[in-house]
Amino acid sequence: MPPKSKDKPKPSPSQPLPPIEDLFSTLNRHIEQSEFEKAVKVADQVLSIAPADEDAIRCKVVALIKADNIDGALSVIKLSQSPTVDFSYFKAYCLYRLNKLNEALESLKSQENNPAAMLLKSQILYRLGELDACVDIYRKLQKSNIDSLEINFVAGLISAGKASEVKGTLEAL
Amino acid sequence: FPPAFQSIPRNPIVIDLAYNYIDFPSLENRMKKDRKGFISRLWR
Repeated sequence: MPPKSKDKPKPSPSQPLPPIEDLFSTLNRHIEQSEFEKAVKVADQVLSIAPADEDAIRCKVVALIKADNIDGALSVIKLSQSPTVDFSYFKAYCLYRLNKLNEALESLKSQENNPAAMLLKSQILYRLGELDACVDIYRKLQKSNIDSLEINFVAGLISAGKASEVKGTLEAL
Repeated sequence: FPPAFQSIPRNPIVIDLAYNYIDFPSLENRMKKDRKGFISRLWR
């Protein structure tokens, strides 16, 4: 006599997922506690229910970046076809971290006038050795009250051979 | 001895300020609103 259990359908190995608000509460808790790998897993659970959820995709991308999985973040960005979420800054940042500097600049082209994009652009230009352009951006950002801006500004000035301007710049900040 | 301290040039430091702009979206409206039942409304 064959064992009866074989005829029964196997219960699904994974537990049924909790409601989406509960998942977001869990996700939020992981974010607050800087548990980024766990945050990625919960974002994935949300996406298994709602594959196009923009908040979940954004959380996943940011959590991957903060967990130092830059390749992973970039591949999520490339796979996401969302017409409404603009990932160009995140994409540019990932490319910068992977030292694909020209591609990173390309991805920033759509949004050049906000402080975040300008900072990232100046960091990319610094690595590319385009120091005059790099310093020009810091000059434009001088009045924006960005913490620690002076560190990169001074690095740019010195590398650009403008060490004589350092003192005046620091006094003007 | 000991010899006097001397300053030496070093490469300038660059910090990744762009990282500070990588931020999570607000999930406030996506979570269960557990403290916004009618009792809390009575208190307002």
